Amino acid sequence: MAGKTKVMVAAAAALTLGLTAACGGGSDDDNSNTSSSDTGAAFNASSTKVVNVSDKKGGTLNLWSPQDADSFDPAISYYAWTINMNRLYSRTLMTYTPKVGADGLILTPDLASAAPEVSADGKTYTFKLKSGLKFDDGTAITSKDVKYGIERIFAQDVVPGGPLYLIEELDQGQGYKGPYKDTDPNKLGLKTVETPDDSTIVFHLKAANANFPYELALPGGAPVPQKRDTGAKYGLAPASSGPYKFESIQPGKGATLVRNTNWDASTDPNRKALPDKITLTITTNAEDMDARLIAGTADMDASQSGVQTQARTQILTDEKLKANAANPNNGFIRYAAIVSKVAPFDNIECRKAVIYASDPTTLQTARGGPVAGGDIATNMLPPNILGADKSYDPYGRAQGKPQVDKAKAALTACGKPTGFDTKIAVRNNKPAEIATATALQAALKTVGINAAIEQYDGSQIATVAGSPNNVHKKGYGIIIAGWGADFPTGYGYLAPLAMGSFIAENGNFNFPEINDPAINDLFTKGLAEKDATAAAADYQAANVKVMDGYYFLPFVFDKALNYYNPRLTNVYFHSGLAMVDFASLGVSDGK
Amino acid sequence: MSLGPETSLHDETTPTADAAQERDPSEKAIAGRSLKQIAWRRLKKDRVAVGGGIVILVLILIAILAPLLIKLFGHPFDEYHNDKIDPTLGLPLGKLGGISGDYLLGVEPVNGRDIFSRIVYGAQTTLTVAFLSAFLSTILGVLFGMTAGFVGGWVDSIISRIMDFLLAFPQLLFSIALVSVLPQTMFGLNARWARSIVLICVIGFFGWPYIGRIVRGQTLSLREREFVEASRSLGARSPRILFREMLPNLAAPILVYTTLIIPTNILTEAALSFLGVGIPPPFPSWGGMLSDALQFYRYDPMFMIIPGAMIFITVLSFNLFGDGLRDALDPKAR
Amino acid sequence: MLAYLIRRLINAVVTLLVVTLVTFGVFFLVPKATGSDPALLYVGKQADPVAVEGIRTKLGLNDPIIVQYGKFLKGIVAGRDYSNGPDITHCSAPCLGYTFKTNQEVWPILIDALPVTISLAIGAAVLWVLMGVLFGVISALRRGSIWDRGVMTVALAGVSLPIYFTGLLALSIFVYGLKWLPNAEYTPFIDNPIKWFTGLILPWVTLAFLFAATYARLTRANMLETLGEDYIRTARAKGLRERTVIGKHGLRSGLTPLVTVFGLDVGALLGGAILTEAVFNLRGLGYWALQGIRQNDLPTILGVTLFAAFFIVIMNLIVDLLYGVIDPRVRLG
Repeated sequence: MAGKTKVMVAAAAALTLGLTAACGGGSDDDNSNTSSSDTGAAFNASSTKVVNVSDKKGGTLNLWSPQDADSFDPAISYYAWTINMNRLYSRTLMTYTPKVGADGLILTPDLASAAPEVSADGKTYTFKLKSGLKFDDGTAITSKDVKYGIERIFAQDVVPGGPLYLIEELDQGQGYKGPYKDTDPNKLGLKTVETPDDSTIVFHLKAANANFPYELALPGGAPVPQKRDTGAKYGLAPASSGPYKFESIQPGKGATLVRNTNWDASTDPNRKALPDKITLTITTNAEDMDARLIAGTADMDASQSGVQTQARTQILTDEKLKANAANPNNGFIRYAAIVSKVAPFDNIECRKAVIYASDPTTLQTARGGPVAGGDIATNMLPPNILGADKSYDPYGRAQGKPQVDKAKAALTACGKPTGFDTKIAVRNNKPAEIATATALQAALKTVGINAAIEQYDGSQIATVAGSPNNVHKKGYGIIIAGWGADFPTGYGYLAPLAMGSFIAENGNFNFPEINDPAINDLFTKGLAEKDATAAAADYQAANVKVMDGYYFLPFVFDKALNYYNPRLTNVYFHSGLAMVDFASLGVSDGK
Repeated sequence: MSLGPETSLHDETTPTADAAQERDPSEKAIAGRSLKQIAWRRLKKDRVAVGGGIVILVLILIAILAPLLIKLFGHPFDEYHNDKIDPTLGLPLGKLGGISGDYLLGVEPVNGRDIFSRIVYGAQTTLTVAFLSAFLSTILGVLFGMTAGFVGGWVDSIISRIMDFLLAFPQLLFSIALVSVLPQTMFGLNARWARSIVLICVIGFFGWPYIGRIVRGQTLSLREREFVEASRSLGARSPRILFREMLPNLAAPILVYTTLIIPTNILTEAALSFLGVGIPPPFPSWGGMLSDALQFYRYDPMFMIIPGAMIFITVLSFNLFGDGLRDALDPKAR
Repeated sequence: MLAYLIRRLINAVVTLLVVTLVTFGVFFLVPKATGSDPALLYVGKQADPVAVEGIRTKLGLNDPIIVQYGKFLKGIVAGRDYSNGPDITHCSAPCLGYTFKTNQEVWPILIDALPVTISLAIGAAVLWVLMGVLFGVISALRRGSIWDRGVMTVALAGVSLPIYFTGLLALSIFVYGLKWLPNAEYTPFIDNPIKWFTGLILPWVTLAFLFAATYARLTRANMLETLGEDYIRTARAKGLRERTVIGKHGLRSGLTPLVTVFGLDVGALLGGAILTEAVFNLRGLGYWALQGIRQNDLPTILGVTLFAAFFIVIMNLIVDLLYGVIDPRVRLG
């Protein structure tokens, strides 16, 4: 499924909110996380500063996407770019600060009038709503609308597909099935959330959880007026609490947003709301979209998944075009997980052999090269998460060459001096992952490790690679994967991949099946830490332990080469959203 | 022949009323030659068909000698050569997709694999799949076609209905769906040959009604012929009549249509690989290479042209040879 | 005649039923056999058992196959009711259900895609019939000439070219190289006839090239056969002008067999020119077919298969009826 055809495959597995911070830049390590601004364009300028700062209103912003939205229903939206789109029409209690660099990772009040009041034990969060908040039909937004919106997530038989964090956090044994099956007359039967009055909402958690505000900042935390809830069809006409409302939504084709006249800018310092109209066009022809971007008839690829190979060549070989492009780090690491429960990888030396035999450069080229693919990854924390250190390179990957001697030594130490047979499992709907699998296969062959590639239906990842039982049965020694965090913390990134309690029967992402008490303790310690820097140190320590176990072979710190129409104003890479902040964009020519 | 709309194979035989008028008078003078000999003589005279045949032979030879050829002129088909690739753009260094004395047909973008080796190995898969699926179609077609034509009655109507149904079926759609859900490794075979078997079965299965229809029609007309009547009145049993009397008379059209179904199968196999459900990577196939070329054809056209040309040449050769063979065996259908 | 028509219609309906039943069976059973679960397509990153079960209920995947198939058939005839949480939506007949992935009605999607495929098929058909017949007839009349050999060689080459190769060549030459044509794109004829034409000309020509080659070969063969018939000789002997002989007598019976082939080809193309639409990124039925297969979206797959089989069956019927009109030897009954 390569080439254009891949565009037709809307990624079935949810892309998630990858989080990165300040220096999205190339291999440079500058940490310019101040909101410096500039009008002159230069390659990758938008990664570190706001390009074309302007407050000019009016005009139409033409977004395009080669991939259809998962849904505009806030309870379902889970692609990084639909989460970003959501901020145009739905507000949440807290949202990411619209700033360049690490500042963007900090949450700021949105519907809430201030940061929440947290009880001493960290288990109770109380939010007060701002006054004067209205939906697009003029009715007031109350705390009950927020609660109702959250309750909808529980109706997984009606609106499935979104993040489930709030269910895990708030159900606490109630077995709540969502408002549609709620026996409460007001459909507000979820016990852990209280709305003592229209402007107050109280959450009772099962345990202290520093991630909770981030969970609320996902679109599922947006208010939904019960009388406008159409259940499964809500995504075709969602109510608006933000600066724009939908004029039309045509799944597979596009959508049009116009100004929401009931939105009051004085309640919302986080959104610039410059254009009068925003159109989204879904196309099946990514090459054609690239041509339109370069010609200036489309403003931006909303999915931010990067231009196609041919447009990449065109942009990189033309300095003028290149100045309008950027390749920020999007918070994903592409990697191979080595399953420690499948022989011979139960022996650390055999895991070492794979890691040292691999060729960092061919893997990087398979991902798209240094510009469009990413920098060679050195460890398992993306460079921009607090506490991460790109120069921490325990496997010596940055130099770009395979280390055959070390690999052979490890093979001998493993008792398999002539090599062994294993299997690489890879999703069949991800051409770049297949390319990395074949590159890895070719490199392993040079030291005598014969790896057979097994492609599986990518949509079934939860029961194929995500089922440890199945992995053991099939004998998958190596699993190709990619991961972006939902929260900008070391815990949010690494815990699901390496913490013992995350090993699940299905939908497992801890592919190597790491269950090391020392690592688990570091994650638990970090979660209870009041100070973010101290927590970051715990997570980095966990990262070191993970690397010491030789469980992962990181390929690249992912990048995507995107092109922006030069007429766009306020273009900057937002670390929290892991892409350009749509809500700040404007058009300079007012058209 | 499972490609329905976009590669269509039509029954072009339409027997003329009077064969004699077309014939060279000199041929009449030659007496005592068997049909085989006559056909062979005719075929040899058809230079275009002979050309096609030679190309086919060369291709078969290439497929058989693939490992040797690669040892002599190439590099292993899955070996990466990153030094031949521009790291930023992923395109081959040098002109014409990196064609050089060392890399006869250049290298692939991104990974620098030797295109020559991949084409040669691709020929192996392509020809195997095309031949065996044609063979499968023929066996099924002959079996069902003869049964339907010979037995007649309700057996005939059931088989005919099944054939009609299969022809009315959106075959390409179905092939894609079936192939994409079947597992990639089976029976202890690697992904390349396991998938080849799946392709052979699917393509072969959807192809049999075409042969079946023709065989049925021919059987129907043969059944009423004097020599069948004669052998029946002499007390011959049905199997004997079927295999000793009728099959030899059906051999010519069967051979022709088997030959003509091969190029269509090549196109189908390539189409499935092109759509991403054919031979899985890292194993090469011409359709798969074309599909990869989709991303690069503007800046590395050779990567598209080489596998495309290979498909074209192969299919054309089979078509030329098949046409010639038909003319030779059945001069009525000109 | 009426009885014949009724019998043929019943036949057609039965064929369509069998097609849907087979499709349904295969796509129901294959996931069972391979152990994949359609419900997993729709959960997010966390495949929580609660969520998976919720989706199964929502999609009706827990019903036995007969019940699911029965509901599908009922939807086509009488419409279906779907619960979407707070209320119930009625999907009126002919209802092909809702897509698993985007929760849209399948019928309108396919009806939307239809003009694309029809435009593609009709435009290409006109081109290939004109070109194919013209070249075929000329070749037949000048049999053995250089012209004949040239045309037949090109035709054979045309038959041997895969459309996904000619399509790419055409794109790289005319769109990206010479920049003569815009990238293939569908604009509704009513909106802008000129854009409709320029956007489709490339797929038309590419598709027509392939078919014209076949038709030229067919036309030539049929014409040669016809020209050898006694009545042509008689006509010539009567002293009719050559143009009348060819135009009135030769073409008529020479082209009759083409009708069958043409009907079947157009029928098959209408069912979805998968490869052409894939190469040129047109969103017709073929696109939705691929989309449905790639996402294991059973309602979409069923819908497209039904449409495709419908066109093939209908065109078959039309061809047979037409035959009765053009060819007096064929009597329907």
